[in-house]
Amino acid sequence: MLQLSLSLPKEDPLITMHRDLARTRREQIPPTWVMVIDLSKCIGCHACTLACATENNLPPGVVYRPVIEEEVGKYPNVGRRFLPRPCMHCQNPPCVPVCPVHATWKDDEGTVVIDYTKCIGCRFCLKACPYGARTSDFGENYANGTPELPGTLVGRNQIERGYARKTAPEYDKDWGDRRRASPVGNARKCHFCLHRVHNGQLPSCVTSCIGRATFFGNINDPKALVHRLVGSARTTRLKEHLGTDPHVYYLS
Amino acid sequence: MSKPHTPNHTQPECPHRRTFLKTCALLGGTAAAISTVGSWMDQEASATSIPGEGAYTLLRPEHQIRSVCQQCNTQCGTTVKFKDGRVAKIDGNPYNPWNLCPQIAYNTPITEAASIDAPLCPKGFAGIQTLYDPYRIVKVLKRAGKRGENKWISIPFEQAIQEIIAGGDLFGEGHVEGISELAALRDPKIHKMLAEDAKKVADKKMSLEEFQSKYAEYLKYLIDPNHPDLGPKNNQICYYWGRQKGGRGELIKRFFADGLGTINTHGHTTVCQGSLYFTCKAMSDQFVEGKFTDGSKFYWQADTGNAEFILFVGASPYEANYGPPMRAGKVTQSIVDGGRKIAVVDPRCSKTAGRAWKWIPIVPEAIGALGQAMIRWIIEQERYDARYLANANKAAAKAANEPTWTQACWLVVINDDGTPGRFLRGSDLGHPKETRPSKKHPEQTWEFDAFVTLRGNTPQFFDPNSESEAVTGELFVDTELGGTHVKSVLQIYKETAFSRSLGEWAQVCGIPEAEIVELAQEFTSYGKRAVADIHRGASQHTIGFYNVLTWMTVNVLIGNHDWAGGLTKATTYNATGDKEGMPFPVTKSPNKISPWGISIIRHGVPYDKTTLFEGYPAKRVWYPFASDIYQEVIPSAGDMYPYQIKCLFLYMGTPVYALPGGHKLVEILKNPKKIPLFIASDITVGETSMYADYIFPDLTYLERWEFAGSHPSMSCKVAPIRQPAAAPMTETVTAYGEKMPICLESTLLALAEALNLPNFGPNAWGEGTSFTRMEDLYLRMVANIAFGEKADGSDKVPPASPEEERIFLQARAHLPETIFHPERWKAIVGPELWPHVVTVLNRGGRFQEYAKAYNGNQLANKYGKMVGIYMENLARTKNSMTGKPYVPHAHWTPNPIDCMGNRIEDEKNGFSFTLITYKTITQTKSRTIVDYWLDAVLPEGFLEMAAEDAARMGLRTGDRVAIISPTNPDGMWDLGHGQTKPIHGKVKVIQGLRPGVVAFPLGFGHWANGAGDMVIDGVSIPGDPRRARGFHANAAMRLDPVLENTGLVDTVGGSAVFYQSRVKIVKLA
Repeated sequence: MLQLSLSLPKEDPLITMHRDLARTRREQIPPTWVMVIDLSKCIGCHACTLACATENNLPPGVVYRPVIEEEVGKYPNVGRRFLPRPCMHCQNPPCVPVCPVHATWKDDEGTVVIDYTKCIGCRFCLKACPYGARTSDFGENYANGTPELPGTLVGRNQIERGYARKTAPEYDKDWGDRRRASPVGNARKCHFCLHRVHNGQLPSCVTSCIGRATFFGNINDPKALVHRLVGSARTTRLKEHLGTDPHVYYLS
Repeated sequence: MSKPHTPNHTQPECPHRRTFLKTCALLGGTAAAISTVGSWMDQEASATSIPGEGAYTLLRPEHQIRSVCQQCNTQCGTTVKFKDGRVAKIDGNPYNPWNLCPQIAYNTPITEAASIDAPLCPKGFAGIQTLYDPYRIVKVLKRAGKRGENKWISIPFEQAIQEIIAGGDLFGEGHVEGISELAALRDPKIHKMLAEDAKKVADKKMSLEEFQSKYAEYLKYLIDPNHPDLGPKNNQICYYWGRQKGGRGELIKRFFADGLGTINTHGHTTVCQGSLYFTCKAMSDQFVEGKFTDGSKFYWQADTGNAEFILFVGASPYEANYGPPMRAGKVTQSIVDGGRKIAVVDPRCSKTAGRAWKWIPIVPEAIGALGQAMIRWIIEQERYDARYLANANKAAAKAANEPTWTQACWLVVINDDGTPGRFLRGSDLGHPKETRPSKKHPEQTWEFDAFVTLRGNTPQFFDPNSESEAVTGELFVDTELGGTHVKSVLQIYKETAFSRSLGEWAQVCGIPEAEIVELAQEFTSYGKRAVADIHRGASQHTIGFYNVLTWMTVNVLIGNHDWAGGLTKATTYNATGDKEGMPFPVTKSPNKISPWGISIIRHGVPYDKTTLFEGYPAKRVWYPFASDIYQEVIPSAGDMYPYQIKCLFLYMGTPVYALPGGHKLVEILKNPKKIPLFIASDITVGETSMYADYIFPDLTYLERWEFAGSHPSMSCKVAPIRQPAAAPMTETVTAYGEKMPICLESTLLALAEALNLPNFGPNAWGEGTSFTRMEDLYLRMVANIAFGEKADGSDKVPPASPEEERIFLQARAHLPETIFHPERWKAIVGPELWPHVVTVLNRGGRFQEYAKAYNGNQLANKYGKMVGIYMENLARTKNSMTGKPYVPHAHWTPNPIDCMGNRIEDEKNGFSFTLITYKTITQTKSRTIVDYWLDAVLPEGFLEMAAEDAARMGLRTGDRVAIISPTNPDGMWDLGHGQTKPIHGKVKVIQGLRPGVVAFPLGFGHWANGAGDMVIDGVSIPGDPRRARGFHANAAMRLDPVLENTGLVDTVGGSAVFYQSRVKIVKLA
């Protein structure tokens, strides 16, 4: 019978991109971070949603990276489409000029950041974002309403100490207990996991991507995997007509 | 409010505005210790970003322990990360081939690997909430009310152990026999004598009277002296588990089988994909000294990354199927980058189907019929691998460079009624038998009677295992030889598949004929690099065994076993040390009892070969070809057939929630007269443990050990290891004078101590080798893995460097001595093996390099044996219900059928929908509802309905409906004591579902596991409504009309049936 030659993968794309980050650091290539999401590889697993939620210890009601599911076609010709929707990190971000306290801006790596210490929670930015990428932290906690029976059940207090009242080191800063102000009451959104990226790690939505659909890297590095992908004829961006110039690209 | 910051919107030109980490990056950075991590931002940094403070520390190896997930049974590798001694994040382990393909090199220093994360599924990430679950119990609970009333008192561990051992009037309801009374006979020699002679009685080689007079003094130890083959009273202790892997498996066998001598240790296989396992077990039977035997309970899956075409049959690797992290990425990259194809056979357009080249929306009961149609087309078009199929034995396979061979050309004797029977043997044609020495029993011999093929018109006599005499045969034979009507196996398959025209098969399947042709054409267009990958969607049917055999035969037709891109099997490093020269043979068990008798699920023995035989049908089904029949344990105990279970010990299982018709178990469990003592080991008070008398808290998968094994699609040889990562949260107790957290291990150690079992305690493996702590067993298993399988030690992993040893200790600084004690750990394996053990633990196991899993176009880790497709054992055995022999080959008959083989036709009574289940990636049946983060994706399950049906019924998405069935006309879970939960759900109208089918995801609609109210020590603990959302429709599934207290079953492969219940959908106001 027909015998095809076997060619095994040499490297997982996650490792390739990890090396790309290392090269940016080693060769001091000024970074402009971009994300590329290959929709033909997205399987709607929501691993990115949860990786992000746990990396950033997100409370109830706050999601940085939902994946929108859609069914297309009529029976029996049916397909399913999935669209991960992080912050688009627009180069012309509509959320920035509306901030009355200048708590959000595009930084010099092309990433739109929020300074929780400045944010007053007015939610203008939530309304301004055409992608719905910003959510408000109303201070809820997953342990709310759970029982307490010390010595017999693990109980609410241990859960709060375990994770529910903790904050994650977003922007590589210690935000302390959730009962103490920020980021409670603030606008929150995807920050490209800058705390990871600045430490040589890919964002959590990238390293969690089961379908290997999400790519990340420095567009200024011509050797980077993302550099090649952004140049694909399949590239598109969401709501390009608005002129927001997102740094999240989709391969359709 | 501080002064507003002035953002800079332009790119500054300064090229050195960033000082990247001063640490090395993996694979190509400068080498520097990771502990010198600094921030990307330094003092000179631009003011345009938020300055970091170095608060992110999870990428340091000192903050990480590599382990194995258990949020589902895929068992992906994890990196558990800590902040201040608490689990702060879980990621995938880059050393583990579940998570990356290829995974990083095993010799990568952990300092380099520490910054590399790998994928997990959403459940894996959310596991932090399984650990930190407020409803977790930390102390032993004893029921304070009636069974299932959910009233409890917490009691001291020692009291619970003592009560269980001694029995007594434990609940004010009368005397309860304790374990010491039930397992009174513990002398292995007496067990052996009784077992041997009881078998003689069953075989009618010894009279009952003779047995009874010979063993008069021991009859009191038997369940029933008139039926000695039922075995000893020890068998009235039943250990019953949901999810159990290696390590705990060895512990359990040591305690319940070797120690207590019960034959009743049963797993949950048949609720998952039982018939897949047991068909493949039958297929892997080899011809050994005159018998077809020694098959493994296992199955094959696709070598996912290397197939040109995969046909997923009742399988969805994007959501389940041991798939997401391990397989899905291989599939997406194959499709998008490699231009390969997949197709999915499923009544529902799963996420996999929704991204596939083809979705085949099969009629549920016709999933095997589609395979028969493919067999027909492939034979008709001669697109099978004739060269492979013509090989009759090992030598022929070897000559053809085939790792395996099958029975396609073997000749079978046709019975007078035209049905195929046993294989034709040399002696039938006057060919002499040979007397051969036995390898199994050195002093004995056995008679070899050759098998026969036909070459031209000449019979060829052969030994299937011969390595020197290659024999091939004609594929299609229907003739007379020496007056006997014979056919080749492939001829029988051909006639079966040709019993319907392709058009007729297409009609049965509800699929256009052209689609079937296209599918078969595609399947036969890539040589051996195409594969049908089968999972529970094919096996959990009343004819599941034959569905699986049909689809596996489709694979056999192209001979893809052991070929890259074909069928693979799991291969693991030996952890039990039972190979020559390995350091710790942990299964060695002094004075162990060999359990004997008939099990409560009546498996592994034909009904008519026992003293219970009293004509057909039997009272309940006997399962000579299956084991671990989950749905059979409690109903059999309820019927007390073949005897009463007096002590049930349930571990990490919830059959009430998980089984079709699980509500019927409640009636049995809530009645102490049926099962007088019911002990559960559980994390919370669950849907089944709520009926227990005692619940012993267990540790979660993040706090404990286990050896996760592998899955069939994993081509590398592996040994992933789960190890204590988080500090234990249960109460600290004492066994053998050692302090440890309450968990399964401490419970069994304390019971063993109280019973003075010889294979536990200070001399468990022989003089001076103690088993008084869990790591006494588990670290020895790790050491076996580290040592490898070569007696000279040349297969050992490299030793850990001093730095890796330092990091190993530092990473465990948060673990108390009750779970981690470095000196004691080192002493268990010895100073020589210790650095090798550290290497393995630092990497979460041992993993073969991906490239080494292939050898040219073939797999390196081969099955390498005969692939049976004709089961003579079936033809020689009678079905306990019908009294007829089992059909020995793949075929398809109209179904569903009841356990008597009669067609169930509920559709004629207006039950117009077939109810099926599916897995959403965010839930694992019973246990992940506690992970609140997952609510963000799917807070509750819907009843999915095809748009066409919904339009006809006037239903819209969001409408509430009741699901009722012929055996649950009220559509209700009756939980006992007046508690009920209706099967009411919200409809979701979709296109991606075959009309006439409704589907729901497993995992929602809980009433325990934190979802229901309970009282502990007089304190009311309200349930959490987040866990009760949605509905669970297992109670609407069809009960078998003969058995009545059990759902539909596959009487051959043992599967519980999930896809064949007919229901009515009623709109609620």
